Amino acid sequence: MKSLLLAALAAYLIAAIHSILAFVNKRRSVQRVAEWSIAVGFILHTCALIFDWAIDGHYPLFFLRETLSFLAWALVGAYAIILYRYRAEALGAFTMPLISILTFIALIVRSGPQDTAAAFSTTWLFPIHTTLLIFAYAAFFIVFMASVMYLLQERELKLKTFGAIFHRLPSLSTVNQLATTSAIFGLTLLTLGIASGMVWSSARDGRIWHNDPKEIFALLTWLLYFLLLIYRSSANWRGRNAAWLGVAGFALVLCTFFGTRLLGGYHVFGLARSPTFLSTSLGKR
Amino acid sequence: MSIVLVGVNHKTAPIEVRELLAFSDEACATGLRQLVDGEVVREGLIVSTCNRVEILSATAPDQLEHGTARIAEFLDNDRRLPADFLGQHIYSHRDEEAVRHLFRVASSLDSMVVGEPQVLGQVRHAYSVALQAGTAGRILNRLVHHTFRVAKRVRTETGIAANAVSISYMAVELGKKIFDSLKNHTVLLIGAGEMAELSARHLLNAGVSRILVANRTADAAQKLASEFGGASVPFDEIVTALSEADVVLCSTASPTFVITEELTRRAFEKRRNHPICMIDISVPRNIDPNVGKVPNVFVFDIDDLESVISSNIREREREAERAELIVQSEVMQFQQSLRLMDMGPTIGALREKFQEMARTELQRQRRQLGELSKEQEAAIEQLLISTVNKISHPVLNQMRRFYEASDPENIQEPSESSDPEE
Repeated sequence: MKSLLLAALAAYLIAAIHSILAFVNKRRSVQRVAEWSIAVGFILHTCALIFDWAIDGHYPLFFLRETLSFLAWALVGAYAIILYRYRAEALGAFTMPLISILTFIALIVRSGPQDTAAAFSTTWLFPIHTTLLIFAYAAFFIVFMASVMYLLQERELKLKTFGAIFHRLPSLSTVNQLATTSAIFGLTLLTLGIASGMVWSSARDGRIWHNDPKEIFALLTWLLYFLLLIYRSSANWRGRNAAWLGVAGFALVLCTFFGTRLLGGYHVFGLARSPTFLSTSLGKR
Repeated sequence: MSIVLVGVNHKTAPIEVRELLAFSDEACATGLRQLVDGEVVREGLIVSTCNRVEILSATAPDQLEHGTARIAEFLDNDRRLPADFLGQHIYSHRDEEAVRHLFRVASSLDSMVVGEPQVLGQVRHAYSVALQAGTAGRILNRLVHHTFRVAKRVRTETGIAANAVSISYMAVELGKKIFDSLKNHTVLLIGAGEMAELSARHLLNAGVSRILVANRTADAAQKLASEFGGASVPFDEIVTALSEADVVLCSTASPTFVITEELTRRAFEKRRNHPICMIDISVPRNIDPNVGKVPNVFVFDIDDLESVISSNIREREREAERAELIVQSEVMQFQQSLRLMDMGPTIGALREKFQEMARTELQRQRRQLGELSKEQEAAIEQLLISTVNKISHPVLNQMRRFYEASDPENIQEPSESSDPEE
């Protein structure tokens, strides 16, 4: 449903502009406009995903177009929860433009042939695998953003510059807690996502591990966030170092996400079969 | 009715002049009764604070010049000042300008520290004095209520009072930037001076759960601690206290560093990286600047606090520009409602006028009707008047509703707001 997604994009753009304005001039009324636009955009986007599912006949998380759209949707959801729980409005000024861009790309990229997708919709494990991982990526993105905000605010406090950032970013304890909570969610989802992938893969060809770049990166990502959480809880390790780890972790997440596109491997589906290689192979995860 | 405002403030007059003019509450009341004569000056109100003395009045419009002169004269006479003494310090505003000035004063745009919350309370007090003296009438009632509304709008819609501008409040502001909320956090006061006490009060208001006091003389520490329900700590056990506190406020007269890097590192063995905010308001400094190199320690000395304050003042001034826009639009609205207000008595008069017209018409056409009995004549008059009333009723009603909608009786007075700052 392109028109629904287009409407959602419009709402996200309005939200992005108002989030940035609210960040700059700290107007509550502007922030309220942003929040309403997010709510409207999210509802439209949800409808678009449901209609896609109904019309195309496969779970709307296969092609690149769908992956980006789903990721944007998950990020909006995550940001909405954070707004409700932490009132970290500053996050919107950075997240909403990114969500708008993701949605925009999702609108202009074409889908591959439907039959490739149909082959993967026969089992319920594949959609679960991909959904869990998309949510994990969204959570890790939040860890990344919170870590960046931590580093900026901490720098401001240590150097005592007290500029715009000091007045606009949330407190250190808020972003610290946000990063920790998101990391816990992200790691749980990643664990379940990897496990479901293994089960699915063993059902397909009896192997649970293929030494494929995406799998290796996923494992490294898992280890890194596991370490981060172990440190945070046992040694009460927080502050700059933990924040830097949150930033570094996201680099690994990006490698995992794009790893297949660059290095190929088991996670590339239908590459040889499809002439429109860009739009399909990039869609595989 | 015209509105006239005459006065001096901290920008136009030095303290020597302002203190000569200052009114006590009683002087206000008696002065107002003298000033308001019901002829030229119909209503009056005096705002007298340490930064300003302003007389606000409603005057007959045709005697505006006279009224302004009378108020200036009143100031001179009441205070027995030499002639022309006030000339260079005094300012006077009329109508729109006077309204704008009052709105700006009450919204704290005209204050020494923009956004300070006290001035609204002072205006409120001045109004209650005028009410008791019986010199606040229709116009001033409406103006003052509108003023409260404007001040409330400015406070809620702009960040004019959002950032702290006093040293004693800085501990709260910086603590909140690190811990978000100070609830269930511990504060350590090193030194038991006046500044420590003032800051401790702000911190307690912000929700701090525990206060520790360390001082060279244990008695003073004990005294301050008991005042806030806290505990005193022996001076040589500061390390233990440092490992428990989240916010440290240092204000001793010690010539050497009280908190050193080595001391902090020792405390951090127990703190397990839990962040700590240290504020040093003493000169010479009591906290070694190297302490700031320890991870998760945030140290601020008096100069840092001054720089946050000046950054906050700049933020407030940016917000003040927005507040000016609000004031501008409210001045327009008030002028509008003032024009509507003049309509109030007009509505009654209009009704009379219409009935009068009906009677005149009847008189004019009376001869054409020939012989009529007294009852018939009364019936015709009744018929005309009730027709006129029926026709004019919806129009007048509409006008009346319009008028009542802008009546001060229907405007809620803003509730007393408490502000922990200053």
